[in-house]
Amino acid sequence: MIPGDFQFSKPPKNKLILLGVLGSIGFIVFAVIALIATFHISSWIDKPIVFAGEAPDQPIEFPHTIHVQELGLDCTFCHTNVTKGASASIPAVNLCMSCHTQLGDGSTEIEKLREIHAKKDVIQWTRVHRMPDHVRFIHEAHVKRFSGTRLVVEKITDSTNQIRLTEAKTIKAGAKIGETLDIAASGTCSICHGDVSKMHKVEQVRTLKMSDCVDCHRENDAPTDCTTCHY
Amino acid sequence: MANPSWGMVIDNDKCTGCNACVIACQSENNIPINEEDHFTQRRPIQWIRIERYWEGEFPNVKARFIPVLCQHCADAPCEPVCPVYATYHNDQGLNVQVYNRCIGTRFCANGCPYQVRHFNFWEPEWPDSLENQLNPDVTVRTRGIMEKCTFCVQRIQRTKRESEKNNTSIKDGDRQLNPACVNGCATDALVFGDFNNPESKVSKMKKKELGHGGHGDHSDHDGHKEHDEKRGYHLLEEYGTHPSVVYLKKVDYESKTVEKH
Repeated sequence: MIPGDFQFSKPPKNKLILLGVLGSIGFIVFAVIALIATFHISSWIDKPIVFAGEAPDQPIEFPHTIHVQELGLDCTFCHTNVTKGASASIPAVNLCMSCHTQLGDGSTEIEKLREIHAKKDVIQWTRVHRMPDHVRFIHEAHVKRFSGTRLVVEKITDSTNQIRLTEAKTIKAGAKIGETLDIAASGTCSICHGDVSKMHKVEQVRTLKMSDCVDCHRENDAPTDCTTCHY
Repeated sequence: MANPSWGMVIDNDKCTGCNACVIACQSENNIPINEEDHFTQRRPIQWIRIERYWEGEFPNVKARFIPVLCQHCADAPCEPVCPVYATYHNDQGLNVQVYNRCIGTRFCANGCPYQVRHFNFWEPEWPDSLENQLNPDVTVRTRGIMEKCTFCVQRIQRTKRESEKNNTSIKDGDRQLNPACVNGCATDALVFGDFNNPESKVSKMKKKELGHGGHGDHSDHDGHKEHDEKRGYHLLEEYGTHPSVVYLKKVDYESKTVEKH
């Protein structure tokens, strides 16, 4: 050691503790800001990669798995308006009760349903898919576009049951190119809503952002004029 | 088939100034209630308004009315000034206002010579009794964005959808298609239709009243008889905006004058 050289004096212990505390507070603040920024930026582009949230809880746990997969009910059996108008419509309690006056004794969820029916109340479902107010989405037009007898399957890109909107021209998995398909209205729902029949709790599968809509509109030669959806 | 070019013919001779079109528009398009102080601040929102002019001296005063709505100009002064392309001309001859793009610079309202663009200075409010009368097919515009007449594009889109579904063509003068103001007009002073369809009522009226020259260019070179027969003109046509709305002059045989406002 050379005399007169700079020497780092050892800081006192209480100063070290203060530095440590300040540093950790600073780190926490930075981490929180980074998380919020990540949430906002990622949710702007696509689904948020942090705090994404799970499927919302419903007042009555309605299992689509039992009703669609096991009983084989058609989507349009309950969502009757989907082929007739803008909204797909949620069935009235009376439709549930047409079976559940007889079936499902002992289940707490069905007791809840019967209680609501006895009070002549409505079920306050939590909405899962919501479009902003300035968007007009017409279920009828979209269902009509993809259902019916479609002459030619133009390309097959997805061999699994997961049908994605970008490959909407191939509705049915396992179809051959050039095959004529007869697609029911309920065969088209999964394009946007995912395979609801396998969901115990309904969740939003696609981002349903404008780019999502416009990509599909371009792919399917649908109009992309602003007044198609915004008015 | 060619794209339609929606337009309107307004006969000032038939207009009685009853304001039914204003009310029809107000209720169809979710326009907030204009209160007195909105008018005193000159900030009412009326997509269609009746302009009233007094003519003559006291005992022989006459009221003249002109319904003024967005003219859906082919060369609209509002369109090039928008920095975010919130207003543009679509392939159906409509001057479209995209609410979710609008950032509220109000350049378009300053550019419009017809004063038919309206800015939402306040959050829209309705009395409780009217909350359930809002039209679900029309966006409720929030504070800070521009709005204007759309020729009831929601009705046009609905008719188009229905006609595609039933494999029919859009009928001229269909009440499903007509804007609310046209349906509300008691004297049929407003006629709505497709200028690209030569068989439509508006095309025939335009041809008859405006002549081949178009854009109101019907000078007196054929003599006064021609002038008397053809009543068509455009509002402020000297600006060269080429509007889609054709006005027909009021003809007052009593005062032997042809009013052109």
